[in-house]
Formats: sequence, C-alpha cells, structure tokens
Amino acid sequence: MAALKDVSFDIPQNQICGFIGPNGAGKTTLFSLITGSIRPSAGKVHLHGKDVTGMDAASLVKKGVARTHQVVRPFKAMTVLENVQVAVHYGRRAVTRTAIARDHAMEALKLVGLDRKANTLASAISLGEQKRLEVARALATMPELLLLDEICGGLTGAETGAMLDLLHRIRESGTTIMYVEHDMKAIMAVCDRITVLNFGQKLAEGKPEDIQNDESVIEAYLGKSTFGSKKRA
Amino acid sequence: MKRPSGVGGWLQVILPWLLLAVLLLLPVARPSDNLIRLLFITAVWTTTSLGWNLLGGMAGQVSFGFAVFFGLGAYTTALLMHAGHSPYFGFVGGAAIAMLASFLIGLPTFRLRGPYFVIATIGVTEAVRVVMNNLDVTGGASGYRITEEKPFSQLEHYYTAIAAVALAVFVSTIITNSKFGLALRAIKQDEDAAADLGVNPYTSKLWIHAIAAGLTGIAGGIYARRAAFFYPGDVFAFQTGISILLMPVIGGIGTVWGAVLGGVIFGTVEEELVVYFPNLHLLIYGSLLIVIILLEPDGLLGLLRRLFRLFRRKREDSGSPDADEVLWGRGRAEGREL
Repeated sequence: MAALKDVSFDIPQNQICGFIGPNGAGKTTLFSLITGSIRPSAGKVHLHGKDVTGMDAASLVKKGVARTHQVVRPFKAMTVLENVQVAVHYGRRAVTRTAIARDHAMEALKLVGLDRKANTLASAISLGEQKRLEVARALATMPELLLLDEICGGLTGAETGAMLDLLHRIRESGTTIMYVEHDMKAIMAVCDRITVLNFGQKLAEGKPEDIQNDESVIEAYLGKSTFGSKKRA
Repeated sequence: MKRPSGVGGWLQVILPWLLLAVLLLLPVARPSDNLIRLLFITAVWTTTSLGWNLLGGMAGQVSFGFAVFFGLGAYTTALLMHAGHSPYFGFVGGAAIAMLASFLIGLPTFRLRGPYFVIATIGVTEAVRVVMNNLDVTGGASGYRITEEKPFSQLEHYYTAIAAVALAVFVSTIITNSKFGLALRAIKQDEDAAADLGVNPYTSKLWIHAIAAGLTGIAGGIYARRAAFFYPGDVFAFQTGISILLMPVIGGIGTVWGAVLGGVIFGTVEEELVVYFPNLHLLIYGSLLIVIILLEPDGLLGLLRRLFRLFRRKREDSGSPDADEVLWGRGRAEGREL
C-alpha cells in the first residue's frame, strides 16, 4: 500500500502553501519525504530545480529547508536559548562564535515571544510555549523553505492568533512556508494556496475560497450523504 | 564563555588550577613512593574516565569497548619504544592508532542506535581481545615486556600521567563550552531533532569517539610504559572496558568533574583496598552502582550537589530554586538516560 500516490505540486517562492486532508491522508508522510526521513519509492523532490530527493535532514537544513514536528521535540535538559542556539550554530549560516549565536537565537525567541523564557529549561515551559520554541528553532536555521506541521494543535484561541500573525511576518521576511494543519480556520486565514490530500492522493488545489466551495473536498470531509438532499426529504 | 558569578562560580575556576599546582608541587614534600604510585595509576584511570565521558556522558553513546583503545595505546607505545623511539613519541603514536581504530569501529557501529550500539561495542571489544591474544607481535598470552635503557624514574611517570589528566580536562572543558559540545548534548537528548536543526549526528559521533579514543590511547601508553610488562588478556580485557565506563557513571556522568571524581575513587579503591581485601572492590562498585542508579543518576557529584543545595537552603532559608539552577548547572536532567 502506498501512503502517497502520484502527488505532484510546486511551491512558489514567498507564499504560504497549506496542505489539508482528513486523518491518514498523508500530510505528515509528505513532509517526511521532503525532509529525507523517508525515501520515496518513486518520484523526486527538487529545490530550485536541483534534485534533493532522499537528502538527509542535516544537509537539507544547510540548503535552506527546515521543518517542525507535530509532536514537539525540545531538548528538555537545555535552556530555551540553548535549544535555539543549536539551530543558529548548525543552520544555513553556521555561526561559530557563541556570543553572536546567542544574539541570533535571542532574536528568533523575540519573534515568537519567548525571549523572557530564554534561561528557563525547555522542560519547564508550557506546551504552547514548546510549540513556539519548535518554530523558533526552525526559524533560527535561516530557512528559505519552512515546513510547519500542525503548529497550532493544542493551542488556545489567542495563541493560535499570535501564531498566524507570526506566519505572516515570516513570509514577509522572504521565507516560503509549507503548512500542514487540522484547524481549517487557521489554514484558510493564512494560506495563499491550498492543496487537499485524501487517501494519499491530491484531491484539489487552489485558493482558499475555491477550496471552500469545492464539491469533492466537502465530500471528503463530510461524507457523501449531502445535507441538501436530506433537508429536502 | 560566561564569566564566573558568585563564590561557587569562582571556586569552579580556581579549584582546578589549585589542584594542578598541588599535584605538581607534591614531590617537593617527599611523599612515599606508594603515594606517588597511587596518584600515577589514579591519573591514568581518570584520563580514560574523562575520555569515555566525552562519548558516553556528553553524546550519550554508551560504549563497552574502550579497552580496545587502551590496549592499542599500550601496544603501540611498547612497539614504538621497542623500535627505538622515545616513549613520548610512543604515546602520540598510541593516540593516533587508537583514533584510527575508533573510525574503523565507529563507521559501522554508529549506524546503530541505543542498545544495538551498546551490544555492537561488546562484540567488537571481545573480537579484538581474541585476535590480539593470538598475534605473535603482542606476545600473546605470555605477554610483552618493555625494556628501557634509562633508569626507572618514578617522578617522570608521575608527571607524564598528570600531564595526561590535565590534557583530558582541558580538552573536555573546551568541548563542553563549544558549539560542538552543544551539538553533542542535543544528540544525546534527541538525535533526530538535532539533525532537523542541521547537526549531523553520525559525523559528530565519529569525531567525539575519535577524541575519546585518543585520550584513552595515551592513557594506555602511559600505563604500559610504567607497568613494563603486560598482556592482551589484561589491557584488552572486557573488564578494562567496564572499569572505564564505571568511573564516570559513579562520579557523575556527563560532567567533567564527575568523571574526575569517579577516576579518583576507582584508582584508590583498585590500588589500596584490593591489597587488604582482595574481593571487596567488586562489592564496593556493585553497591555504589545500585545506589547511584536508584537514588542519584548524576553520580556522586550529583549527590554532593544536592547536599550542598540542601545546606545552602537551610542557611539562607530563602534560596530560590532558580538561583540554584544558574549556579549549579543542570547536569541532573541530562544524566538520566544511561
């Protein structure tokens, strides 16, 4: 069985591209294929026209592709600042000097509003804060393409709002974003383009408003028995 | 680097230098030969302990195979001396061969993770021991003897061993405070997450393995030169690998001074208590290990830290946990997984 089959798409520069689909549609698998943790049995991943299929995560980071994980993975025995510092040291810019790396890391923390927690252990901050730390770490590698996997899951309404604001700011700074999210409202609010996956296949692609009105998408999410016909009956 | 803050901070900076000064000046006080011998062997073991701690403590890769590097250091030094080279050239050669071996071992085994890596290191060390035991060049089971034309100088051996410990502490401290050290800590906690931030876990492990092997090789050479007679069943023994691993675990895994403390305890127990109570040392290690695993995963250093914290809190009655955290670091949570 294939988790993903014949899914093909382009990510234009400097856009926020959303990926949605019911559970098991293959969204996270898609990310894993791009960042090299799974090798595709067929198909290619190109970055700026160059083949990067199956390249390992660390090398991809150096080329400007960074990701976050749906389940946060902070280095719990390090401070929040040290967590981000790793990304600055080993990211695309590969900063060597500790003092400069700390400054860069602090900037990334300010961007996600975690600068006050810089010296707290990563194990001692809330889940919402850990989600933001995950984004700050990925950002600190200075990516051209940022893959975000469910960064709003488990966040409160206010936190989600702040996170979406942050996405806009990241895009304005020139970073392209691929964004997977369960929360429909969130994805509709920030994305320039949306791709819908279902059972490992591409169902639809287009602007948020087109997707909202797409028959096949509504069917995939709500099932075939349409509301309209039931009302009439 | 951070500047030291408070009494504790300054103590951490001054104490190592003070210790070094005492060790260097000690011979002036005309101590007994036995004390010098004890300090010599303790310094040799402490060097291996610091070496192992780089890989096992900082990067979290538990290896049972460090006897390979100890033995290779011993034999390389011996063979180079036999060929007419200076013993110091022999130590460097021992380090080089041990590092080379670390790459040969690491290239395949670091593809494995967790328990599988541990098991692989056990296999490698046993295989190496058997091979070495059957080679002519090692003297096989009948051993190898180093003959030096120079008269035996207790103090030369002593100072060599002290220099090795100083080197090991220096290297460990540099790495701990470097970006490489930060990457190793990240690898220990979550290898995949570290890779997602651009750290290459595979090459990082290979390099720290090589540095650890080099230090262990030097220690092996220094040991062999003084022992003058040794055999593969001794320096390549599985027990040697266990001892090297035991020291940092007992002292405090992942911290430079924990590794030193473990080495000192091990050296003392091994050299002094064994003489009076031939089998007691196993009991002591066993009980220490049980106590440490059950009560204080950060080893004796962690225990001391906790006691000191308790004492401080009673005295000041208002010690905030945050301040303690800043002053005493945060080795605790990191040492948990062994």
